[in-house]
Amino acid sequence: MPYIYNTPQDQQDMLEAIGVSSIEDLFDQIPAEVRLARPLDLAPAHSEMELSQHLAGLAAQNLHTANSVCFLGGGSYDHFVPAVVDAIASRGEFYTSYTPYQPEVSQGNLQVMFEYQTLICQLTGMDVSNASLYDGGNAAAEAVLMAMSATKRTGKVVVPASVHPEYRQILETYLTSLNTELVTVPAEDGATALAALEAAVDEDTACVLVQHPNFFGAVEQTEDIAHIAHQKGALLVVAFDPISLGLLKRPGDCGADIAVAEGQSLGTPMQYGGPYLGIMACREKFVRRLPGRIGGETVDRRGRRCWVLTLQTREQHIRREKATSNICTNQGLFALRAAIYLATLGPQGLRETAELCVQKANYARQQITQLDRFADAFSRPAFKEFVVRDRNNQVGPMLRDAAEQGILAGIPLQKWYPHLSDCFLVTVTEQRTKQQIEALANCLANAQQPTAIHA
Amino acid sequence: MNPEELFYCETHEWVSITDEGGSKTATVGISKFAVDQLTDLVFMELPEPGTEVAAGDEFGEVESVKAVSSLYAPVAGKILEVNHDLPDKLETLSEDPYGAGWIIRLEVSDDSALENLLDYQAYQKQCAEED
Amino acid sequence: MRNRLATQPLFDLSKPGRRGARLPKCDVPVQELEQLLPAWTQATEPPSLPEVTEPEVIRHFTNLSTLNMSVDTHFYPLGSCTMKYNPKRNERLAGTHGIVDLHPYQPEDTIQGMLQLLYELQEMLAEISGLPAVSLQPAAGAHGELTALMVAGAHFRESGEIRTKVLAPDSSHGTNPASARMAGFESVMIKSSDAGFVDMDDLRSKLDEQVAVFMITNPNTLGIFDRQVSEISDLVHKFGGLIYLDGANMNAILGVTRPGDFGADMMHFNPHKTFSGPHGGGGPGAGPICVNEALGAYLPVPVVVEEDGRFRLEYERPRSIGRVRSFFGNVGVLVRAYCYILSHGPDGLRRVAENAVLNANYLLSRVRHILPVPHGQRCMHEFVATASDLKKKAGVTAMDLGKRLLDYGFHAPTVYFPLTVPECLMIEPTETESKETLDAFAETLFRITEEPADLLHETPHSTYTSRPDEVTAARKPQLKWSPTSDSDKTNH
Repeated sequence: MPYIYNTPQDQQDMLEAIGVSSIEDLFDQIPAEVRLARPLDLAPAHSEMELSQHLAGLAAQNLHTANSVCFLGGGSYDHFVPAVVDAIASRGEFYTSYTPYQPEVSQGNLQVMFEYQTLICQLTGMDVSNASLYDGGNAAAEAVLMAMSATKRTGKVVVPASVHPEYRQILETYLTSLNTELVTVPAEDGATALAALEAAVDEDTACVLVQHPNFFGAVEQTEDIAHIAHQKGALLVVAFDPISLGLLKRPGDCGADIAVAEGQSLGTPMQYGGPYLGIMACREKFVRRLPGRIGGETVDRRGRRCWVLTLQTREQHIRREKATSNICTNQGLFALRAAIYLATLGPQGLRETAELCVQKANYARQQITQLDRFADAFSRPAFKEFVVRDRNNQVGPMLRDAAEQGILAGIPLQKWYPHLSDCFLVTVTEQRTKQQIEALANCLANAQQPTAIHA
Repeated sequence: MNPEELFYCETHEWVSITDEGGSKTATVGISKFAVDQLTDLVFMELPEPGTEVAAGDEFGEVESVKAVSSLYAPVAGKILEVNHDLPDKLETLSEDPYGAGWIIRLEVSDDSALENLLDYQAYQKQCAEED
Repeated sequence: MRNRLATQPLFDLSKPGRRGARLPKCDVPVQELEQLLPAWTQATEPPSLPEVTEPEVIRHFTNLSTLNMSVDTHFYPLGSCTMKYNPKRNERLAGTHGIVDLHPYQPEDTIQGMLQLLYELQEMLAEISGLPAVSLQPAAGAHGELTALMVAGAHFRESGEIRTKVLAPDSSHGTNPASARMAGFESVMIKSSDAGFVDMDDLRSKLDEQVAVFMITNPNTLGIFDRQVSEISDLVHKFGGLIYLDGANMNAILGVTRPGDFGADMMHFNPHKTFSGPHGGGGPGAGPICVNEALGAYLPVPVVVEEDGRFRLEYERPRSIGRVRSFFGNVGVLVRAYCYILSHGPDGLRRVAENAVLNANYLLSRVRHILPVPHGQRCMHEFVATASDLKKKAGVTAMDLGKRLLDYGFHAPTVYFPLTVPECLMIEPTETESKETLDAFAETLFRITEEPADLLHETPHSTYTSRPDEVTAARKPQLKWSPTSDSDKTNH
């Protein structure tokens, strides 16, 4: 075996020291009747070369960003990842270490945690950040649970339909177990219907969860929504797009009590959906209800500045069933990537990235919607995503055609929004070129016509 | 207060009852032993005055770096007063646990739980066993 | 030597006008921003991020990395965490085009290779666990626990049974009771016997028809295999409850025994432990769960299914609990697990368990003469020693021993867990360590126990940072940098 040191002689020596005659004897604590009497039925061992060839074979069956053009988004984005991110994150001292239980030999990870928390606070305008959660969807669910505990209201949670449908599905799963009602407020022209929201929020409501820019890519009237929530004593949870904060007002300046995000945009590749980075930050007064690890500054015995895991009594390993959450592992490696990404881009770089997104997305929106077949599904301003309506109502075949030409043109919305079965979501990051955008428009213009009409 | 005249819960709260014209008031704190066991305290969560508690109900928490200890009401009643100075001066709990370190005052509605509490001698014995 | 200049907080390095990245010119016709985004949505100034150059970023983080102990650099016997070698091939393969750069909403036709990989991994985990239905979606072990408890909840709701309690031994991971609570159950603790097993009398006294699930870690957190496990599962099943296996310790039993064969109805894997996905400085993990046939219907959507050699994501599962994570889960970690399992094959996986158990028992045989190991002569993949006597005799604590080990170039074992053993050190060497390393560790531990207590209380001595003041950190939490932080502190 490639990773095992013990030679037959080592094994013999060790068995003798233990005082048994065979390795088999070591397993006699396991009753014979539950022992597996046969080898596992698995593929035989692959050498590194065979494994590499096998994986290459699997990879070759996939379209990916190097052999296609990606206009897909919806929470996972093809943003540029600077080389410095990989160079640092692939250092074994970072990725083969673990949670900094021994701070004296984990100052690297702890300082990164502290810097990440600071960067997230700077980005969001919130007071405190934790050191990360699993992903955006779980961060949203954890924020809702946190709001329920902070407000001591467990009756109801209100969410507009313009929030990522998978985030809402996760919430539904979580809240079903807790017997809390999840009220979904309709979207109107691609954003929260404020009157409906106002009618839904009451004194039993723990919080409103809003996404801005929302799942359809449109801006939400976050400050008005904050007002509606706060009037009834409910909290506002804002799910934001970190890249958008190069341009948009920060959640902390829009009335958010808790801000959450999918942090994949910040230097993490798409990896078919994970691992990603759950960002969560909140106002100071909720700090003891924050789930997950938190790093804090202190001094050591020699008076030198250093960092430790702190406020640990919130956590499961101490408080067990009374913990703020069951979370143990976080996404340290992706918090590191986000910190490197934000440090590398800096304020100007983030702003320029956001500007490129908004310019290119709007260019693509115009290029597509000037075609007779397509229309804007909604009239609202968009950041880097927008919804297109296919007047021919042939979204599925059209997207398949485009994929065959190497263009991943958009995400059909029917699965989550049956009334938008003629619509698809197009995403344009800073990486897409004018040429690629025009190729997209061209490809859609020439897409397969519905046979029923043109036969 | 003289610790030898107090009653104690197994969970280390002490209580002292005063009776003024038929209305009983309980003062509640935690024992020196408990504070020492928790070592350096870092945080305390206290209830709002007006809260009703039954005997054995959790009414607050004290935390050290790596432990949390719940505070339980020794008798039933309504919380009249909370020692709001404590969270900012946690050292009071170890310096003067039976005086300035009091935690809450209760208007006693039912003191039948008193029967189950330990007197000083019995409590000392329990502490010796735990140590 | 520590580079003090470069390891100052990033924010102290910042200087207006510096930058680490240049973006391309906008190649589409540029429009007025105000026309695209209304003024009320826009920030009045750019975010207040630090301004540093690319070389500064590299030097800063590279220097920070050198302040960590890691598996690549040190023996890391952190019990319960299975800090084994993280194969480099897995990193490379998980990072290749066609694997790392797939969008989660790509049409299924365009990701057949990825779906095949995930499907095969589902099959592999089913075989290793002896439980046929698999969900790869949970993002970590604790998330797997929660998901499985929700599966149990859905099962009982559907059969009209009202079951409110989840039992777990007092030696269990804190995630067990925390997950139970999040899944809407009351958590009930079961005592351990003096031998470290589940106390059967206590279990019997707490078992009734309100019990939904008994969560057991086996081998348990003391590193011993609870022989009563079949009896326990029979007993719990008799009352209609389910058995959940916390799979944190699967490294000990790969190919030797299967949870499904010793009575478990549900379990999670920790691929970042058992299957070597790196720990990433605290994550990512993954928490795939395996359940029995009957419970399979409740697993989260989607799962990968195969039809005539094509693979697709199945969403139409009406009894599913729904979704617990966006997209498909921590695929990058799962890809590494897949590579790990394929690298080993059936015999190789069994060799992993054998050598993990051999190494642990060998180390146990040496450590036993230095510190008492209260629970037995024999262990599985880890064991728990105690410094209780040493504390009484010399005032030396488990923490002191752990900190002193750092001075000698070993990461400390897990200390003060499980909660059932006072002053404990939980030691898990893993299979990817040599006899020489284990000997050196044992000799060092012995040497430390002979050292004066006063010296040990002040350890570590050789690290740049000595013991931090955790009390101040918790009393007056400083959780982010501020311009008023005293930057002189590093220059002491």
